[in-house]
Amino acid sequence: MYDWRHVKSKLFVGLVIALSMVALAPVFHLVAVIFVNGVSTLLEAGVGFFTEMPPTPLSRGLGGIAPSIVGSLLMTLLALPAVVAIALFAAILTTEFPRSRLSLLVDVVAKSLTSVPTIAVSMIVYMLVVVPTKSFSSLAGTFALVIVSLPYAYTYFSSILRSIPAMYREAAFSIAMTRWGVVTRVLVPIVARGVVVGVLITMARIMGETAALLFTAGRYRAGLNVSLWGPVDAIPLLIFDFILSPFDNLRRVAWGATFVLLLSYMLVFFATKLVVREVKL
Amino acid sequence: MYAVKLENVNLYIGSHHILKNVSLKVPYNSVFVIMGPSGSGKTSILRIINRLIDLVDDARVEGVVRVLGFDALKTDQYELRRYIGMVFQVPNPFPHLTIYDNVAIAARINGVARTRSELDEVVKWALEKAMLWDEVKNRLHDYPHKLSGGQRQRLCLARALAMKPRLLLLDEPTTNIDPINARRLEEAVTSLKDEVTILMVTHNPHQAARVADYIAVIYDGRIVEHGPAKHLFLHPSTEITERLLRGEL
Repeated sequence: MYDWRHVKSKLFVGLVIALSMVALAPVFHLVAVIFVNGVSTLLEAGVGFFTEMPPTPLSRGLGGIAPSIVGSLLMTLLALPAVVAIALFAAILTTEFPRSRLSLLVDVVAKSLTSVPTIAVSMIVYMLVVVPTKSFSSLAGTFALVIVSLPYAYTYFSSILRSIPAMYREAAFSIAMTRWGVVTRVLVPIVARGVVVGVLITMARIMGETAALLFTAGRYRAGLNVSLWGPVDAIPLLIFDFILSPFDNLRRVAWGATFVLLLSYMLVFFATKLVVREVKL
Repeated sequence: MYAVKLENVNLYIGSHHILKNVSLKVPYNSVFVIMGPSGSGKTSILRIINRLIDLVDDARVEGVVRVLGFDALKTDQYELRRYIGMVFQVPNPFPHLTIYDNVAIAARINGVARTRSELDEVVKWALEKAMLWDEVKNRLHDYPHKLSGGQRQRLCLARALAMKPRLLLLDEPTTNIDPINARRLEEAVTSLKDEVTILMVTHNPHQAARVADYIAVIYDGRIVEHGPAKHLFLHPSTEITERLLRGEL
């Protein structure tokens, strides 16, 4: 026999599950659509999808997205270490020295940057880098990506560092650790998994960013460029351009590129879960 | 000569006057217990002695604080803490380190042991002194979340001892653990006093009676009475001490 309390409990649990399903349905739908369309493109294009140039509207085959992959990888490799290093140091500064003027300044600047539209960042970098160098470039794209991603990475790292109970900080100081030792030997290792997740989120943000690259990277799809000074393409830019195209082959390439982007996130995410141990408090 | 000597120490945190003209003398190689109700300033005294009070925003300390011959308020705080171990009210072993590394890190940082074999020796010695060795000797590479609360607290004691401190501060170390583990910790503490001076904070008069050589009673930031433990238990001279001993405060 169930009493009324058990019935209520079951009802609420059922309601929570149902609402969660409703909330998750669009995500599953999105993933499913990308999966179905993306896999069909990849099956038709084969390995060439990763090595060939993009098709023209009149091409017979689907070609590939090699310039976009190279451009995205290049800018991610350049921007990610810079963003992670600056954001992590800034987060350490503001959590360990919250009352210093520099910390207050860093915090205000980071929070203000969050509200700047990414397309505005793209325009500013266009003025600061593209105009003086007279060329779109991976450097300009990287610069824009760093500015756009920094405030989010900083906010994330700050929140995980602030989540560490004060008792571990005190314990570390009590065994004569210096402030730097407390940060490097205790605080950061305790949230190591969180830091890695932060790196991943930042990477996802950098790889998925489109607007910041519109006036900076150059959408160069005629060849592979790995130089800092020449124009490059990026996967999101290709998706943005091709999905709006009236030509079926270009739209199919856009779906394939979206699938590649999604797959790369998932691979890195699961690899991280396997490799980095969670610290149990 | 005293391990700790406080003269007219005042502590302010913002506009709050926490400690009021506190004076104390802790003889070397004794167990000195500070007893008082919650919020009376017991923990603040310990944190002034090892300068953890510096972590508190707006804290200001006035007076003379001599610790192991150092002028504690003027000595480099990191240097001072090399000689002072501390066990906190809530067990706080480092969660990302194994049992072995939790103890070894304190020895390594303070130059007590450098080679692997020296470290092994210090870790074993500290765990034995904390009466934990027999329980963990076959699981030194487990993480502390697998230990019970009492075992974790004894691990923290071992970590503090691995520094080879000359002064050990214990901040109500048995409050959050079961009576059996509390008794083991007390036994460990009393067995240590030939090697290290112990300054312990508690609000439990029974515990104070079991471990203390000297007792100071603190109430509302003031030391109301202090002296040899037996004398203070048998002849309390203030009403506050009497009420504290009866468990009414």
